Amino acid sequence: MPGARPVAPEGPRRDVPLSYRVRLRMPAVASVCLTAFVLLVLFGPVLMLALFSFNDSSIISLPWEGFTTHWYEEASSDNQAHDAVLNSLLVASIVTVGSLLLGTLAAWGLTRLRFPGRGFVAGLHGSVLVVPWLIIGVAGLIFFSELGVTLSLQTIGLMHLVVTFPLVVAIISAGLVRFSRSLEEAAIDLGASQLQLMRYVVLPHIAPSLAAAGIFAFAWSFNNFEISFFLGGFEQTFPVWVFSILRQSENLPLVNAVSTVIALAQVVAVVGAWRLMKRLTRNRGGDSALTELVTGGVR
Amino acid sequence: MESASVPLERAPKRGRSRLRPFAFMSAPTVLLLLLFLMPMGVMLVISLEHGVLSGESGFTVSNFTDIVTDPLYREVALTTVIIATSAMLIQLVIAVPLAYVLAFKAGRWELPLLLFLVLADELNPMVRIYSWRMLLGREGLINSALMEIGIVNKPVDALLFSEFAVIIVLATSYLTYTVIPIYAAMKAIDRNLFEAALDLGAGWWVSARRVLLPLIAPGIFIALLLVYIPLFTDFASPALVGGSSGYMLGNAVQDLVLESGDLNAGAAMSMLMLAASAIFAVVAYRLSKIRQLES
Repeated sequence: MPGARPVAPEGPRRDVPLSYRVRLRMPAVASVCLTAFVLLVLFGPVLMLALFSFNDSSIISLPWEGFTTHWYEEASSDNQAHDAVLNSLLVASIVTVGSLLLGTLAAWGLTRLRFPGRGFVAGLHGSVLVVPWLIIGVAGLIFFSELGVTLSLQTIGLMHLVVTFPLVVAIISAGLVRFSRSLEEAAIDLGASQLQLMRYVVLPHIAPSLAAAGIFAFAWSFNNFEISFFLGGFEQTFPVWVFSILRQSENLPLVNAVSTVIALAQVVAVVGAWRLMKRLTRNRGGDSALTELVTGGVR
Repeated sequence: MESASVPLERAPKRGRSRLRPFAFMSAPTVLLLLLFLMPMGVMLVISLEHGVLSGESGFTVSNFTDIVTDPLYREVALTTVIIATSAMLIQLVIAVPLAYVLAFKAGRWELPLLLFLVLADELNPMVRIYSWRMLLGREGLINSALMEIGIVNKPVDALLFSEFAVIIVLATSYLTYTVIPIYAAMKAIDRNLFEAALDLGAGWWVSARRVLLPLIAPGIFIALLLVYIPLFTDFASPALVGGSSGYMLGNAVQDLVLESGDLNAGAAMSMLMLAASAIFAVVAYRLSKIRQLES
């Protein structure tokens, strides 16, 4: 806490008693310990999972039996694993594109236009974000079965789109609210057409928000378990496949191997996207713009 | 904006500008009406209908009363509240100091640490649950390590398939969404306030309780809104690491809908959980709008 750091006294440090010096360092030591602990808890288990995907044993347990890539070979020829990952990639890609389109339209409409019923429409978009996915999944299952629609990847994709694009609306609206409207008015006064206004003034300003929204939309769809579980019928996405394998049997090195590949791909994607956004925001205050971006959606 | 800056000769186009909100808003709104509100409405109707097997027709509230009066479900509800609340408290105890470190102490590490938090959230939840199961299991890594060193001579069963396991897994699953709103609230604080408190003779505890806490309270309520509801309705973690003692309401819904195929009871249970979530969301949202807390 801020008051905890006593004001350092003037004069030679030798005069300061040891206990006082320890107290002076304590906040810094505590900060490092806390951060290290959180990182360990968040990433330690996943690192162990990756490590044991190379263990030459069919049960995941100590002692270490030796290095092998056998589980990766087995995973690459496993049809179910293949299909599940491909299904997830396909659905997430389509949902990302659809969410960005619908989300940008709605964000612009809600922040820049006035129309009757605007409060209701804004509330509708917001309420999707707080309804638990379990309940959306159950409601979707009942709805589609009442309509007689067969559950498939398409029903998964539709419901993913419904829960994901309001998130895009939240992120892009935050970007649009931050961006001063006087710039738009200046562009119009200087004779910009609607199209030029969008292309040269609005788009560069919301590009980082669009990139962030795209990453979150992809991750929300790719990682979504609850909705895919209820709406998939006989088709599996990656999380549903892991769940069903784990329900049937004990720990399997095969799942370790596939999960490691997925986790690695996600790390590469997030870090790559982060660097991209850093470049996009460089001429607008860099770091502070990035922290704004991470926190913008929740303010 | 339109009337002030659009030149006069474009005035005839005003009819088109009245249609503009429609062009922007119709597709998103129709999608939500059709695939969000309609399914909710259908679920409400189903929850008020007699089960197919009962042979009766017409509306009833018996699906709801059956659930509310069933002592078994009351126990499950209690377990759910205990697990969700414990996981939430653990997260807050970690998140408030962590957000403080991020906002005021991390310096050049602030952005990399934020990136790690985002990354932790992007990792697939199923992979995360599986990795914990691998660590905590009967033949898991913690047990086999403990036995190797000789601290215990037979595996500790209580690690996996217990309330404890569910609380640990849930607390680590949503930490990102707990930290970020609190961090955002702290970033908005004027640091001079702390110095003023110090000058006026406040110790660190008084300064934390009277200056910091009231200012981050809205962030804490946002974190509750974002995290407590998913915690309360989670069913993947309890299904994979909870065993029978970690059975939560989400598992009950899953069993009703998919195992016993009782859509009416499943719909009623979902409606009850939705109502609880809605009440919680409204309260948390209202509280987050309060700018000053009396302490």
